[in-house]
Amino acid sequence: MELMNNVKIKSKNLNVYYGEKQALFDVNLDLNEKEVTALIGPSGCGKSTFIRCINRMNDVIDICKVSGNIEIDGVEINDKNLDVVSLRERVGMVFQKPNPFPKSIYDNISYGPKIHGKGETKSELDEIVENSLKKAALWEEVKDRLDEPGTGLSGGQQQRLCIARAISVNPEVILMDEPCSALDPIATAKIEELIDELKKTYTIVIVTHSMAQAVRVSQKTGFFHLGKLIEVGKTEKIFKNPDNKMTQDYITGRFG
Amino acid sequence: MSNEHTVKSYEEELRYLIDSVIKMGSLTESQLVDSMDAVIKVDKDSIDKIIKSDDEINKFRSKIDTQIMTLLVKRAPMAIDLRETISSLKISQDLERIGDLSKSNAKKVKPLPLDLPEELLGNLKRLGDLVIKQLNDVLDSYVNKNYGKAKEVWEKDEQVDDLTYIAMESVIDFLSKDKKNLDFSTHLIFATKNLERAGDHITNIAESICFLIKGEYLKGSRPKGKVIQQ
Repeated sequence: MELMNNVKIKSKNLNVYYGEKQALFDVNLDLNEKEVTALIGPSGCGKSTFIRCINRMNDVIDICKVSGNIEIDGVEINDKNLDVVSLRERVGMVFQKPNPFPKSIYDNISYGPKIHGKGETKSELDEIVENSLKKAALWEEVKDRLDEPGTGLSGGQQQRLCIARAISVNPEVILMDEPCSALDPIATAKIEELIDELKKTYTIVIVTHSMAQAVRVSQKTGFFHLGKLIEVGKTEKIFKNPDNKMTQDYITGRFG
Repeated sequence: MSNEHTVKSYEEELRYLIDSVIKMGSLTESQLVDSMDAVIKVDKDSIDKIIKSDDEINKFRSKIDTQIMTLLVKRAPMAIDLRETISSLKISQDLERIGDLSKSNAKKVKPLPLDLPEELLGNLKRLGDLVIKQLNDVLDSYVNKNYGKAKEVWEKDEQVDDLTYIAMESVIDFLSKDKKNLDFSTHLIFATKNLERAGDHITNIAESICFLIKGEYLKGSRPKGKVIQQ
């Protein structure tokens, strides 16, 4: 029998509005612990909006209004009294375009732990930097030039640096919004290999436009369309024999 | 398939693949009909034509293989398209094997005497007719994506087994009457067995079609007739 991991993140009747426009409609989606969930769907379908709810990134948009629930480990995160900074410590994010700080490789990694009070001494910080870079499979490539600017790395390395930065504060969840769309196939393969490794420790949610990538990296896939979660299920099932016709039309390229 | 692909050439490539399988199927069916006809009528003149038509079937098989590889490389098909591609590969393999068996049966006509007893041929003909009908039905279910019909073919193979048993018995009976019949009786036994094996390939095709339509394999074991249980 196949074992399913525990549910880490649970969204219940999640609705999101940007001003008058509703971006998500009653999304109910469970994301399992230490598993990769891929979210697919055409541009504007709400998949990025959904993951931005998980670390309350939508809070920074004035006109954005969220209703419904998102629970992490059974605790509601939309609670006004919840400390958003510590939420974002637990839920890291990696974006489409690598966005290292215009600082050294070392500072890129040590910045997070410092502000979260995680590395008090230099040697503690050194250890965090080394471990994070190792987990992001970047250590060997940069260990001799930690004081060089992060922006001087190649695109793929920059993205792994951003993943290392996300890992440095020891999160539980990593959100990835099209993390490979700006990368070449080799750099993409390295990130995918990394995702495989990271899922042993973290719960990962990845938004991707590449079906092949969704199949390769995820165990669960959700298909969004026009703000609605149309179908969610085991990745193999979704790509071999989906239940919903709209899902099938989308993944086979018969849309619109 | 329902809606068309956004990329027209993808749609055309898939359509072309399915058409190739249908054409290969109809060629295989004609060859099976011809070879059965040659056996029953002991028509030695048609042997060469049947052997030649097997080359055509083999060519189709290579063509379909190439089409499938191109589709996999170019389109990385998913869901129904993936199942369509994979089942084309499997169906074309089974059709090719049926073609080989028809060719083999045609070759067996050469040593047959012209005055074979009617009863012997009658039992063989009944088996041949059923296998031809099974192939026709299974191809029909492929063209019309008819799950029920494919499943019916799958279940009906039991009857092929039973008729094989009867045909075999009548050949053995004939052989036991006179040892002089040994040579061509052996050929007839092989021809009967070939038809039974063609029936098995037809059930494979039925299984592929059911998988193609529903995305899951037929559950349970297929009903089997006498000959298998022996």
